[in-house]
Amino acid sequence: MTLLDIRDLKVAIGSVRALAGVDLTVARGEVVGLVGESGGGKSMIARSVVGLLPRGARATGQVLFGGRDVLTMDAAELAAHRGAGAAICFQNPRGALSPTRSVGRQLTDRLITHQGMDAAGAREAAVALFESVGIRSAARRFTAYPHELSGGQAQRVMISLATGCAPGLLIADEPTTGLDVTLTREILRRFRAAADDEDRGVLLISHDLASIARICDRLIVLNAGSVVEHGPTAGLLTAPAHPYTRALLAAVPDPNKPAAYRPLTGPEDSGASSAGSRPGDPGRAPAAPEAGDEVVRVEDAHVVYGSRFGAGGHHALRGVSLTVRAGETVGVVGESGSGKSTLARLMLGLITPARGTVTLVGQDPARLRGRKLRELRRRAQLVFQDPIGSLSPRRTVADAVAEPLRAAGMGAAERAGRVAAVLERMGLDGSYADRRPHELSGGQAQRVGIARALAGEPDLIVFDEPTSALDVTVQAQILKVIGEVTAERGRGSVFISHDLATVRGFCDRVVVLYLGRIVEEGPVEEVFARPRHPYTMALLAAAPTLTGPEETGRVHLTRDPDEAAPGGGCALAPRCPFAEDACRAEEQELRPLGGVRVACRRAGELPDLHGAER
Amino acid sequence: MADLTTAAETRAPRAAADRGFATTLIWAGSVLLGLVLLAVLAGPLLVRWGPEEIDAAAALAAPGGAHPLGTDVNGMDILSRVLHAGRLDLGVAVASVALAVVLGTLLGVVAGYRGGLVDDVLMRFLDVFQAFPAFILALAVAALLGGGAPELILVIALVNAPAYARLVRAEVRTVREMPFVEASRTSGSSGLGTLWRHVLPNSLTPVRVIAPLNCGWAMLTLAGLSFLGLGVTVPTAEWGAMISLGAADVVAGRWWTSVPPGLMLLVSVLGFSLLGEGLQERAGVRR
Amino acid sequence: MRIARFTARRLLQAVPVLLGVIVVTFVLVRVLPGDPIRTILGPNATEADAAAARARYGLDKPMGEQFLDYLGGLFTGDLGVSIQSGQAVLGEMAVRLGPTLELVVIAVTIATLLATVLGIWSARRAGRAGDHTLRVLALVGNSLPEFWLGLVLILVVYSWLGWVPAPSGRVDPDTNLSLITGADLLDAALTGNGPAFASAAGHLVLPVATMVIVIVAPLLRSVRASALEVLGSEAYQAAAAHGLPERTLLRGYLARAALVRLPALAALVFGFAMGSTVLVEYVFSWQGFGQWALRGLLFRDYPVVQASVVVIALCYTLIFLVADVVQAVLDPRVRI
Repeated sequence: MTLLDIRDLKVAIGSVRALAGVDLTVARGEVVGLVGESGGGKSMIARSVVGLLPRGARATGQVLFGGRDVLTMDAAELAAHRGAGAAICFQNPRGALSPTRSVGRQLTDRLITHQGMDAAGAREAAVALFESVGIRSAARRFTAYPHELSGGQAQRVMISLATGCAPGLLIADEPTTGLDVTLTREILRRFRAAADDEDRGVLLISHDLASIARICDRLIVLNAGSVVEHGPTAGLLTAPAHPYTRALLAAVPDPNKPAAYRPLTGPEDSGASSAGSRPGDPGRAPAAPEAGDEVVRVEDAHVVYGSRFGAGGHHALRGVSLTVRAGETVGVVGESGSGKSTLARLMLGLITPARGTVTLVGQDPARLRGRKLRELRRRAQLVFQDPIGSLSPRRTVADAVAEPLRAAGMGAAERAGRVAAVLERMGLDGSYADRRPHELSGGQAQRVGIARALAGEPDLIVFDEPTSALDVTVQAQILKVIGEVTAERGRGSVFISHDLATVRGFCDRVVVLYLGRIVEEGPVEEVFARPRHPYTMALLAAAPTLTGPEETGRVHLTRDPDEAAPGGGCALAPRCPFAEDACRAEEQELRPLGGVRVACRRAGELPDLHGAER
Repeated sequence: MADLTTAAETRAPRAAADRGFATTLIWAGSVLLGLVLLAVLAGPLLVRWGPEEIDAAAALAAPGGAHPLGTDVNGMDILSRVLHAGRLDLGVAVASVALAVVLGTLLGVVAGYRGGLVDDVLMRFLDVFQAFPAFILALAVAALLGGGAPELILVIALVNAPAYARLVRAEVRTVREMPFVEASRTSGSSGLGTLWRHVLPNSLTPVRVIAPLNCGWAMLTLAGLSFLGLGVTVPTAEWGAMISLGAADVVAGRWWTSVPPGLMLLVSVLGFSLLGEGLQERAGVRR
Repeated sequence: MRIARFTARRLLQAVPVLLGVIVVTFVLVRVLPGDPIRTILGPNATEADAAAARARYGLDKPMGEQFLDYLGGLFTGDLGVSIQSGQAVLGEMAVRLGPTLELVVIAVTIATLLATVLGIWSARRAGRAGDHTLRVLALVGNSLPEFWLGLVLILVVYSWLGWVPAPSGRVDPDTNLSLITGADLLDAALTGNGPAFASAAGHLVLPVATMVIVIVAPLLRSVRASALEVLGSEAYQAAAAHGLPERTLLRGYLARAALVRLPALAALVFGFAMGSTVLVEYVFSWQGFGQWALRGLLFRDYPVVQASVVVIALCYTLIFLVADVVQAVLDPRVRI
């Protein structure tokens, strides 16, 4: 039975056309995926279904819900329709939960309003509902405020709020943004269950085709306010008709096959990286390293962020050792909180390790001061996660790119030439030089960021999740640019990501971080083909794939990362499906195993165990 | 066409409406200030009496005849005094705020960017000054320093500077942690270079917005001090002192000695307030 | 318990500030020009008279010794003797503080309540005529010099309309109000003195109105801005999109969230009002703390100046403490 039937919906805000004639239907018991990039009008569709368009928005067409047009409902009808008819599960759950009301009260408000419960009954039902969406010790959480919850918990609460309205149609707006891969699967399963077990219609909105494709019955692809393609999931994935859909699909990285972001004509440098080590000579004045020279060496580094008030503090890195050579690209992978960004800043000499040493092109930044330190810093550059935020709002693009050159004391004329050249190389013509950050798109801003990193011709470039804030199709373009940059032989590159698939594209070696420790390290193809550490296996298993059913034999971690406080022994033990008592007793060191190094005492037997389960 | 205006709206369209109102406020404030400025600059040229000239024959004369706004108890022409006083009031207000901004920004940048011990010491020092309501502090310092325009400029600036210092410090501390500052450091820029090119320009927005509002407050403070006999004193023409002199007449129903200077004060301060509110609104929308 | 610990910690933090205040005032009063003895004795006094007077008030001792004496006095509750009147400062201050605090507390309370109701009202009509009118009116109020507004109110409401008692004093002396706290309205209520209560209330109308008009604007602006922010927030939109009824939205999702930032500002406004009272009391012959401190300042009456400055700093610190506690109660995100 068709629940929602949108016919030729057009929405304009002022003179801006947000939706240009959209048709879509959702029936009870089915999950429909609505895919498109940000700014494509996805959220406008969700808002029009509950009659909450922004002020000044003009809508034409029909949004039929159970046969009645939402666009022509009066205030009373709308009040009855919102929540009970259709309920949105909002993007960014932390922001969408009222900060000054306990989450329990927020849920009982919905239960009392839409299910006619009394206060006591609502309380009981709320605790039960919290439990059903996977919130542990729900009774205790009842009085918690949103800021006391982790991102995953907040997302679960948000789902409970939306389902607590007992809606016919559940709309989820980017429900998994900002969650790591393991949680994403779990959350998406809940939506599938809402359709299968509770007979609701589900409309899943996402920019990320890969993450939602598997649970959707049908897919609708939106581009610039129009539906460009729709159809059953399997057919759309295997035979996309519209070029935009093909672009979206092409942009999805697949961890199961190596995608080459590197230029085909580029130098083949895996050989160079495994060539004999030539340690940097500490006495030598920094000169451009040749391929194979050590660019940065981190040895047994510990970083502790002291808390402002005395004791405690957050142990971000616990004994990490890593070497990057010129001509080599090293991938660093881990969930949020694993210490990736700390490692990046450590390699750049922006923070000083509490223990251990960092050697950057032969020098220890911790021992340098003033001009010498600044000179050394210039030889290592960072490309930031937030492209716009990393550009000063009041400075022009040319100004930003020229900064390392100005710091090096280069004259104005020469500087202008170099800036134009690197911008050109990033595909930005002269008209961009005088723009300010707010006039740039995310992708353009990131090109500027890379241009700035390149301008000073550094020996090391660290990319700190450079594409995670960008749309998928833009991501692919930026990754291509990065692929070209990392292919240059005279420089070492580090690529940090929470996403294993991207790393596979152009890294030579990969390092997997978990809670400030390296748990596995080795050549990228080896690690992907034969993951030894349970954490690596889980990361690989959780990576979204477009096709194929879920494989039951894959490794899943048992709990949310923020719920499993590591005790003694192996840090992963509380979440590891293979953990034994011995694991909880002893810390794990990195040990060579085959072509890689792994910090797991059971690493040798796991592939067999894993295979046997399958 | 269904126009779906509902109780809850997103920011974008409302921002447009607010920007319109903000512009109106800024215009209204500028026009008021322009009129006051024109009156106090050009007005005195057209008035027959000097601001301190005594018409002994006509003390407390009602408005009309030779004195369009009447005279005060000393026989001085109210219109002439009201217009001349504006130069002093506006001048002191703007000068004192400018001085406060410079002092406060300097302190705030040093405390916010350096952090650590310098910050702690500076802030504890400012705490002592901020343990008082501003007007009380101005009162005390003015009583100790004595009246006169330069002293009053200094008094009002000193009283205001800590607030600017705090404002700038807070902003600097936020901006200092932004990615573009880290980017500048990574580029190998020196601390001062980063401070000058990136931190400072991005930290001064609140100061720009607050300063006009603060000019209004400075005028009120100056007038208040003079009203209490701690600022400018008779025979110098100043609005607060004029209101003070006319206070005794009010109970007797003689309005012209105190109402005109009060109105001028109100219009000038309102000009600054409207301008400041408009700027604040616009900055808020943009942020 | 948590709040008690927080309070204690904050009081401890205030100690160095207050100590700084004591030292700074003590030194400034003496270093800057002006001599209380000369001011009081007049131009005809001989040098010997002046020396004798100095000895009587201990002003001939070295400054360090004077400071230690003063500090010792503070801890035993002895604030010294007024040079003008020869009375104990503590006693004089006690009768002056009540009326002033009564005025300020009533004015700030009314202004806060008014700002809350009108601010939320205004935010819900943001951009419409009513909202704009209210905001401009509040700005006009905020731009009025309070001493002039007081005079105009006297002119209109007393001189022309005759609706309120003459602007001199705080209560009709014929009502025989007995003094307990010095706050007349409170004293009248405590002693059940009906006529005194009415008289005190009548005298309060104009000064309170003056102060409310002047101080309501910043509070209103803050509530309106916060309420707007909440109304536009994803959290509020989510609640509205889930079809919660108006009443629940207003009470559970708007009011509290919109008020979290008000306490700190109200404390600041309280301080502003304390400054304003000096002017307002002057206009209304209130005979309160402000007038007393002002006279002390004009006469360089060291003990009076020192005592009033420390008391004002203490009041200001305490009100900020109260504001922080209230904010912590309103906003679960604040850690105390």
